[in-house]
Amino acid sequence: MCDKSAATVVFLVRWSRYNPYYLEPEVSKEAYSRPETELSAEEKEQRELKALRPIKAATSGVTSSVFDDPVISKFINMMMEHGNKVLAREIMTQTLENIKKKQVEKYHKASEGEREVIECNPYTIFHQALENCKPVVGLASIQKGGKYYQVPIPLTDNRRRFLAMKWMITECQDNKHRRTHMYEKLSQELLAAFGKEGNVIKKKYELHKMAEANRAYAHYRWW
Amino acid sequence: SQNRVKLFPLAHVDTTHFYVQVMLHKCNLMILTCISFQACHSEKHLGQYYTLPSAHIRTLFPSGLPWRYQQQVKTFNEACIMVRQPSLEVISYLKKTDYSKPALRYLFYGQKGTGKTISLCHTVHFCYTQGWLVLHIPDAHQWVKNCKELLPSSYNASRFDQPLQATTWLRNFRLTNERFLSKIKTKHRYMWTKREFTEEGSLLGELVDQGISRVKSSSDVVGAVMKELRLQSGQPGSDFRLAVAVDGVNGLWGRSTIKKEDKSVDPEELTLIYNLRKLMRNDWTGGAIIATLSQTGSLYTPKSAYLPQELLGERGFDSMDPFIPVSVPNYSEKEFESCYLYYMDRHWLQHPQSRTEEGKKELVFLSNRNPSMLDRICGFL
Repeated sequence: MCDKSAATVVFLVRWSRYNPYYLEPEVSKEAYSRPETELSAEEKEQRELKALRPIKAATSGVTSSVFDDPVISKFINMMMEHGNKVLAREIMTQTLENIKKKQVEKYHKASEGEREVIECNPYTIFHQALENCKPVVGLASIQKGGKYYQVPIPLTDNRRRFLAMKWMITECQDNKHRRTHMYEKLSQELLAAFGKEGNVIKKKYELHKMAEANRAYAHYRWW
Repeated sequence: SQNRVKLFPLAHVDTTHFYVQVMLHKCNLMILTCISFQACHSEKHLGQYYTLPSAHIRTLFPSGLPWRYQQQVKTFNEACIMVRQPSLEVISYLKKTDYSKPALRYLFYGQKGTGKTISLCHTVHFCYTQGWLVLHIPDAHQWVKNCKELLPSSYNASRFDQPLQATTWLRNFRLTNERFLSKIKTKHRYMWTKREFTEEGSLLGELVDQGISRVKSSSDVVGAVMKELRLQSGQPGSDFRLAVAVDGVNGLWGRSTIKKEDKSVDPEELTLIYNLRKLMRNDWTGGAIIATLSQTGSLYTPKSAYLPQELLGERGFDSMDPFIPVSVPNYSEKEFESCYLYYMDRHWLQHPQSRTEEGKKELVFLSNRNPSMLDRICGFL
């Protein structure tokens, strides 16, 4: 981690639109450490293709580090404002540290029997909390006969993940005491979501209830 | 946690795994069974952790430990310090010094985040367990910046008083050295105002209480306390040894950002700094002066400066000369292993990848074995 006060200049080398001929970059080290013998025929073909075709530049958010997590990176990007990734990442690391601190403190103060139940890993807590916040069905506004109806529709995985993250961030930004730091608000909300309580879980249940109430209009969906 | 040492009798034993198990065993032994402090301070315990009792932490360090370390103590429910070469060196010198000679000055210096403050705290704890009187200034930089109240000094018209900083320091001093307050008697008479004075032969505790209750004269009380202790330590009648511990000693000879009516105040014009500088001279016997340099809190010094010459400046170096410089480097490989195992033992490293060899190599690369960087990185892993 370099000096926080030194100005970090990021040079953009990745274009926003690529010719479909370009292939996606493979960042993890494990993919390249496998020897020839272990690969199936398709994977061998894929490797040969990579040797011939041009490859897109990797975004600055992905690393070949063993600690890289795509879900966490997505969350950091969603928290980022005005392109200030340094600040967003700092908030994320402070959040994870805060969660771990609280859990480890609880762990060390608990008796032998209670210790097995306490989850100390901030990453499992984050992923589980996000899973608990993901809605199963969503609502779409569909026009029929001059009126608009809220119709329950299935959501894609990406959409569900996006909604969970968006609710988490807006909840922490809007509905908390203004004098607490973002990492403190986030850690409280994530720990609550891990235990299936808190405002974000409530919002998910309200969406489910609305969808259940509007079940009659489900046939308005044509896809 | 498991104390068993697993022995692999097979021929193709993985020797690193065996070493790790033995280290973990030794590490755990060190944390669990260290009772006598004498035994903890020897060469063979280099790289192992020893626990500071929580009662000592509350009295000795009301504000002397770094902030992140205080948080760690709260999280792990214990305060463990690694025994490292610099503090062990100073402790061995302290054990062998002749206290009838003038006080020696030890100076911890090093790059940012290598563990200078923690080494100082380790040495101060050693002095405390040996029954010395500890005069600990947690951060000299706090006395030359962000001063909310600045009064003209009652004793000398050209100097300035800082009542708030002086009263906090006196409170901490009273907390740390309870047992000496009723034993040491003053040798001079002090007049605070026309009607308030402290007689010759009164207890040190009364002097300190006077300073805490009468906030206006607290800086002068601090000066009086320092003068008394300096004169009395090393005399045939006194039964205490004085340890002066200053963190960020380069602040005494630097510049200050305190302004009085838009004019910048020189540190020399501050009573607290003036008296502390007198204490840093080696014209008294029966004790030792242990100090740390610090660029982080200092004013108008470049970030890359870490050597005594650069941070103390000409005036500071001439006042401190001769001193014993002790370099505090980054963790060695053995110390890094020990720190890594300590974090594992305390369940601080939670990321599954951080427990693998690849993860460990990455930690070494990212932190460059710098103690504070390693602490920050392991914080979110």
